[in-house]
Amino acid sequence: MARTHKYNGMTAAALFAVTGGMVGLAFASVPLYQLFCQVTGYGGTPKIGAIASEAVVSDRVIKIRFDANTNGELPWVFKPKQRQVTVKLGESRLAFYTAKNMGERAVTGTATYNVAPYKAAKYFSKIDCFCFSEQTLAPGEELPMPVEFIVDPEIFNDPNTRELRTITLSYTFFPTAAGEPPVDDKTSNARVHRTTKEAAQNPSPNSS
Amino acid sequence: MANEATAAHGSHDHHPHGWRRWLYSTNHKDIGTMYIILSIVAAIIGGAMSVLIRLELMYPGIQFITDFQFYNVLVTGHAFLMVFFVVMPAMFGGFGNWFVPLMIGAPDMAFPRMNNISFWLVAAALVLLLISAFTQGGPGTGWTVYPPLSNVEYHPGPAVDLGILSLHLAGASSILGAINLIVTIFNMRAPGMTMHRMPLFVWSILVTAFLLLLAIPVLAGGLTMLLTDRNFGTSFFETSGGGDPILWQHLFWFFGHPEVYIIIIPGFGIISQVISTFSKKPIFGYLGMAYAMVFIGFVGFVVWAHHMYTAGLDADTRAYFVAATLVIAVPTGVKIFSWLATMWGGSLEFPAPMLFACGFIFLFVMGGVTGVALANSGMDLAWHDTYFVVAHFHYVMAIAAVLSIFAGFYYWIGKMSGRQYPKTLAKIHFWMFFIGVNVLFFPQHFLGMAGMPRRIPDYPDNYWGWNYVSSIGALITSISTVLFLFIVWRTFAAGDKVPANQWGEGATTLEWTVDSPAPFHTHEVLPDMTVQAPAE
Repeated sequence: MARTHKYNGMTAAALFAVTGGMVGLAFASVPLYQLFCQVTGYGGTPKIGAIASEAVVSDRVIKIRFDANTNGELPWVFKPKQRQVTVKLGESRLAFYTAKNMGERAVTGTATYNVAPYKAAKYFSKIDCFCFSEQTLAPGEELPMPVEFIVDPEIFNDPNTRELRTITLSYTFFPTAAGEPPVDDKTSNARVHRTTKEAAQNPSPNSS
Repeated sequence: MANEATAAHGSHDHHPHGWRRWLYSTNHKDIGTMYIILSIVAAIIGGAMSVLIRLELMYPGIQFITDFQFYNVLVTGHAFLMVFFVVMPAMFGGFGNWFVPLMIGAPDMAFPRMNNISFWLVAAALVLLLISAFTQGGPGTGWTVYPPLSNVEYHPGPAVDLGILSLHLAGASSILGAINLIVTIFNMRAPGMTMHRMPLFVWSILVTAFLLLLAIPVLAGGLTMLLTDRNFGTSFFETSGGGDPILWQHLFWFFGHPEVYIIIIPGFGIISQVISTFSKKPIFGYLGMAYAMVFIGFVGFVVWAHHMYTAGLDADTRAYFVAATLVIAVPTGVKIFSWLATMWGGSLEFPAPMLFACGFIFLFVMGGVTGVALANSGMDLAWHDTYFVVAHFHYVMAIAAVLSIFAGFYYWIGKMSGRQYPKTLAKIHFWMFFIGVNVLFFPQHFLGMAGMPRRIPDYPDNYWGWNYVSSIGALITSISTVLFLFIVWRTFAAGDKVPANQWGEGATTLEWTVDSPAPFHTHEVLPDMTVQAPAE
């Protein structure tokens, strides 16, 4: 019996370890999922920074459409300056949105983003974007919101994406939790729980 | 602990009496009994909820449920009760506790006190769930608890939090129970009872225990994230904070798909015992049957996104999940055909447990066929969230599981209570229940194919006919359930005494070697299986 008891304890300990490991995996899935989305473009997560194939500007063009949404709690008018642009593949391009605060107080917001169709995301790179940081607007203030992007010419070599002629770039502006501007850059916000700087390094796009 | 218990209970009939026997119980049979009673209580509540749903849906328009959140709470409560507090406690906690130690020749479970806490945790979880339903509108999230519906914006009160805590407790209970059963099965088999000689019911519980061990912690992790999203300002599933509600769906279904196998696999085990007994033959293809369950359990972890075809997966991902899901038809087919092959050429008898086993095979095949159809992403895009899905999963895991529970109940009630159930009434119960559930669920295929959505208390008039038929089926089913309660009462009040082996030569497993009712302590002399034929 004593032998059985020892084995029982060891087996149970191993099984408890497995349980703990699975809980750990569940939590590890959060950063892993984000990483997975960024690497594969899953859920329309665009690339950040320069494209892989050294920018060989192609003659071929693709149409980029701009979509803007604003969360109901944010008293902003947020819209693209241009409905659509046609860009050469491999050429970096600057486009603008504008945001105007219609409210009576200064408000801070952040934009989540993705591209549609999702499968285009791994060929769509953002070099710089207003969405990488929190934006604060004084009452009545209107600011241009720039985004610089580049479309990888590889998009026409991939059998899954070669039929694409249009990519839609979409943003949704949300207020940060309190909706108040942060006192300084380092004040992290409870709801959004990341600072501007972190957001720029590790952006968390929408639906990924 | 076992040593202590043996010493304390040296004399045969000495055991604790009164409330202490139950509250402090460390006896696998008493704990199994409590699980079964809890299951019956929860089944009455959960069944009553489904009757309310069917009464509301009996006619177009709103009948009596004017508060639609209440309708959502009914749907949610019915699902949670049936999954976590009816089927799991009955099969895994109830029959698992009662018969795994008996069948492998162990004196009790490996950790009797842990067994006690497993039961009382699930009892507490049931209370929490019921409190949740009566708190500020209740949780109207469905059992899938998808954010954003389950977020604090749409369920601001504490109802969802209470529900989450209830699931945490039920999950902890299941994990402890799973560890207990795995250790018991691995370490406490009688001499000669090798893994490949264990009865298939024990195999089914072993596979289920591993599924619980791997799946429940993922649910617990996801629920914890949801709880902190709701209460502590995190944003795991909150888009505005960089989170993603789709991540919840992945976590939930990584648990949720194995969960449906957790529900049905012990049923496979019960059905194997019953069919072998009443065919008076060892089960056909014993090893294939055992490893089919292992394989089903394994594949169950890599098919979760077939619940999410409409969530925006790309074509390649869906192609993988379609293929992986279709693969499940192979081991389940092995099981179905092995049961039929066991009956083939057998010396068949059809007492109530065997009737329920045959009914199980019919229902499981029905649900399996619609499952193969639904596995295809292209079809599922049209059927997603319609009554076709409701019909499918009720066939395959709900009423099939309940039929296997009834099969197990009639098969083992003699061993558990020492009394014979009323045979004719049990057969009437089978036919009423079987006809009732088919009238209840078969028309829902038609409703689903016609596009009727789930989880909505009203529908256009053109869906009326089959909804009416379905509700009639629900009434037949509930009358048969009342009959079942009467049978239980009758068995205990006026049942004849049954011998140790009431089923004769077909019943070869070890539980039939001890008296009926099984004594408080069994296998005090370990059975020696080294010389016997494998018990199947």
